Amino acid sequence: MHRSSSDIIPLDLAVDQIIRMIFRTAAKKESILDLNRYIDKQISVKFSGGREVVGLLKGYDTLVNLVLDECEEFIRDPEEGQRVGNEKRHLGIVVCRGSAVMLISPMDGTEEIANPYANGEAI
Amino acid sequence: MATEGQQSNTSQRLPLELIAECTGSKLWIIMKNDKELVGTLRGFDDYVNMVLEDVTEFENTPEGIRTNQLDQILLNGNNICLLIPGGSGPLGDQ
Repeated sequence: MHRSSSDIIPLDLAVDQIIRMIFRTAAKKESILDLNRYIDKQISVKFSGGREVVGLLKGYDTLVNLVLDECEEFIRDPEEGQRVGNEKRHLGIVVCRGSAVMLISPMDGTEEIANPYANGEAI
Repeated sequence: MATEGQQSNTSQRLPLELIAECTGSKLWIIMKNDKELVGTLRGFDDYVNMVLEDVTEFENTPEGIRTNQLDQILLNGNNICLLIPGGSGPLGDQ
């Protein structure tokens, strides 16, 4: 029934480990969206409502508000609301509201293909 | 929470800071729908609701651009899509 001091040390270590675990998980909590990778890269952004822009990502915040430089917006058909080809208008440096952002994608590694549905063939 | 995301990159521009720099100067606002506004920014809040002065409202219609002049407005941030500092508006830069 005699307890040695060695019983206490493992407990001490356990507490220490628990504290480490807590701190590690706190430090590990990071966003699933790592926009830092796209800083100074060209990205395409689509908005709810149908607007679509491309530009160089200069900054962002936790609400996904974005700063884009050399931004260009695709011109849409006012009646259909759909993008018409590659016609763009220049906007310069802009702030995109995070609440309106629907999609972000890097332009690097993106290529445009011919519309496979253009000739009206039903699948 | 706000500082946690930014500590790794100090060189980047924070979006709301850029807007704050615009107070007192012209701002071009593009809404989610076919409306755009150009006016002098007097202030804004966390939701980016805005107080603007000497506002020109542009509405893109199939018939062309319809404009409307407003002295002072409080704009709800809910429908804002893009903000362009010093923007000259849809007619200015083409």
